[in-house]
Amino acid sequence: MPTYKDMVQPVRATENDMKKIHIDPTPDDQKCDKALQYLDEMRKKFRSFVTAMESCVKCGACAENCHTYLGTKDPNNIPTNRAELIRKIYKRYFTLEGRWFGKLVGAEDISLDVIEQWYSYFYQCSECRRCARSCPFGIDTCEVTFVGRQILHWLGIVPKLHASVGAAMEKVGNHTNLPKPGLVDTLEFLADDILEEFGVEMTFPVDKPNSDILYIPSSADFLLNEYTLKGAGLFFSYIGANWTIPSIVAEAGNFGYLFDQRFTQRHNVMRLLDAAQNLGVKKIVWGECGHGWRAAKMYIPTMADRPVPWPITHIHDEVAYYINTNQLKLDPTKNSKPVTLHDPCNYARACDLQENLRTVMKASVVDFREMTPNKDWTFCCGGGSGILFDDPEMYQRRIQLSAKKAELVRATGVGADGNGILCAPCSICKAQLYPMVEEHKLGVEVKGLIDLVGKALVWK
Amino acid sequence: MSYFIMQIMPYITLVVFTFGVLFRLGRWAGSRIVHNITLAPFPQRNSQVLGIFAAEAIFFRSLFSSDRTLWVGAWLMHIALFSVIGGHIVGIYTLGEEFIYLGLSSDLSKEMSALLGVTFGILMLAALVYLLIRRFTITKVKAVTGPSDYLMLILLLAIVTIGDIMRVFEHQFGIDYAPVKDFVAHLIMLKPLPLDHLALTTPFFVLHIFFVQILLMLFPFSKLMHVFGMFANRWIINRVYKEPAPGLPNVDIAAARQAGIGVPSGEGGV
Amino acid sequence: MASININGREVELDEDGFMVDPEQWTDDCAIYFAPGEGINELTEDHWKVIRYLRDYYKQFQIAPMIRKLCKETGCSLKYIYELFPTGPAKGSCKLAGLPKPTGCV
Repeated sequence: MPTYKDMVQPVRATENDMKKIHIDPTPDDQKCDKALQYLDEMRKKFRSFVTAMESCVKCGACAENCHTYLGTKDPNNIPTNRAELIRKIYKRYFTLEGRWFGKLVGAEDISLDVIEQWYSYFYQCSECRRCARSCPFGIDTCEVTFVGRQILHWLGIVPKLHASVGAAMEKVGNHTNLPKPGLVDTLEFLADDILEEFGVEMTFPVDKPNSDILYIPSSADFLLNEYTLKGAGLFFSYIGANWTIPSIVAEAGNFGYLFDQRFTQRHNVMRLLDAAQNLGVKKIVWGECGHGWRAAKMYIPTMADRPVPWPITHIHDEVAYYINTNQLKLDPTKNSKPVTLHDPCNYARACDLQENLRTVMKASVVDFREMTPNKDWTFCCGGGSGILFDDPEMYQRRIQLSAKKAELVRATGVGADGNGILCAPCSICKAQLYPMVEEHKLGVEVKGLIDLVGKALVWK
Repeated sequence: MSYFIMQIMPYITLVVFTFGVLFRLGRWAGSRIVHNITLAPFPQRNSQVLGIFAAEAIFFRSLFSSDRTLWVGAWLMHIALFSVIGGHIVGIYTLGEEFIYLGLSSDLSKEMSALLGVTFGILMLAALVYLLIRRFTITKVKAVTGPSDYLMLILLLAIVTIGDIMRVFEHQFGIDYAPVKDFVAHLIMLKPLPLDHLALTTPFFVLHIFFVQILLMLFPFSKLMHVFGMFANRWIINRVYKEPAPGLPNVDIAAARQAGIGVPSGEGGV
Repeated sequence: MASININGREVELDEDGFMVDPEQWTDDCAIYFAPGEGINELTEDHWKVIRYLRDYYKQFQIAPMIRKLCKETGCSLKYIYELFPTGPAKGSCKLAGLPKPTGCV
């Protein structure tokens, strides 16, 4: 079982796995020195990190605003204490007070134990930023988790899941190792299925040159979320768009953003820009993926090494626009089950998508019930930042981390008759919630939002 | 000793505080805002950004939503703190006659000044005690509290308690405005005070000034930097983001529906 | 990385107990993995799913969409979960010698 001195830890990538993402793991006897060197580099670069290190008053307001702490009651999962795992090292080596007063001001020498703590706790954090929202000073603890995970990556400590995804991104351009023939086969299958189910004749164009719109789906949609792909396909067909899916980057997510915000993240961005250029598109539209949408919307401008001439919007920005301008004919009665919306944290807190989600939702379903808290105060599903580990220990953690969300879903009453829908328009949320709604017996089915749009479209 | 605290230490304090803060802020400025990490709420105009800054700085709005019980103590403490600091400045400058400008008589103004001083002094004391008790009793807060967090509160409590004693037992332990103003003026003019000056011989006043100086010297090297940190953080996360316009290229839905795209042939379009 | 002996043949497994090389797979591997995934006995339907997965993987180097797996084998999702209690992504892939699915699955 992957634990270290009573701390849960995800299964680690092997040396071989790490080589595939271009890292030679640092030997134990050099880890501490290297960690300090990397920390020094990060603190000189990221102001968001420095101010998080130097302006927290440890008031504790973040504690009960963190689903991880609420679910585990582990004091190190209080956001400020999680940041303290790095702050104590930062203080010891990079501040006067830490060098002079040591323990009194909470400074501590670095050790392998500390690095193992980082690995345990920075991979229990969902990077959902509810703590940043609740902090009186707006300290973004997510930035601390980013820095922690980046340093761990450079040291060669990455969960096997994340490292495998990183390797798959470089090999085939998506997270699930889905090669073009498989992608095309799945889409052809879905087109047939759509004809059977909806009586709609359409195709999913792949790598079609001179397309106007580049649609970036989540690769998990090709394995699990059939209706998300169908919904997007139905929408683009309905509006008569000249669209295509790029096989070299059939991935809305970007796990690089979650553990290596340098090469791994940038590599996926460059693939996207290549695809957009080669296919001659005019606009890029993003599929349902929370972290990926934040990584795309907020990070591509600063990640791309060349000009980005294509506007990038989210599919729900577009759907909402066509609903607001009365151009889509939707029949909400086709979605008659009670529905509640889980606001993915990256949409609502980092990307300002929450109102558009509601516009789309209200036009597509009959019985929509808001969850409280919601929008920018939404609680994470517990899988945020890709902590979808499935070894028994970490799986138990996932149940704990989703406890708060389960409580909120139950409070909406949508699952009371066992026929509710929990709409979670994000691949990580879906992957987390599919098993979690069973574990917590919520009586709901997990769906994406474009899924519901696809069903509600009126064709004739 | 009292000569050192009152006549030499203030200059050391000034240097440590100023250069300490500049050093810290310089370090912050040296690092960059690398990516856009805007956070909700999403202001559309810079005036709204200003509104967010103001609501956070004046009303602690985020804290109000996230932890109401802490907000009560923290907000009261800070409001009392700013009132007390303001009271010190105008009170000492006008020798307690600041309310003359509001139409009060000189005596009434002094009474008023004293009354407000006592009120906010006690309020701040109560709020600080509340915050300290909170650190001892609430599990989650206890879990985030380190030795320096307790010490900082105790230092503040010491300063406020001494100040309150000087106010409440004015005749036994307090000091008048005049000698204090004299003390400040001499400090500014770099002129030493005579050794038997009241400001140097009133034990509680000396102690009060001593602790305040300790606090100011600790300021740049402690969590007190949150005063600047709040603005530095919000400068990063609360900013206007311009959305690209929605609407897809070469899409004409009416025409597409007219043509019956997607509807199998044989069934015919509309 | 560990290596196990299945009926006299050395088979390499990764940290999650999935086969490193799908080419090494034989029926014996499925029989070997079954108890670990909560399966007492491999029925005809188990084999149907496993064979479909292997064929699909041979052709496309990826597991099929779950919907497609259900449709092509004629098993409902619920039934697949009855067959493979640890789920189609993990349990059936492991038995069929496919690599562990990555990404948000």
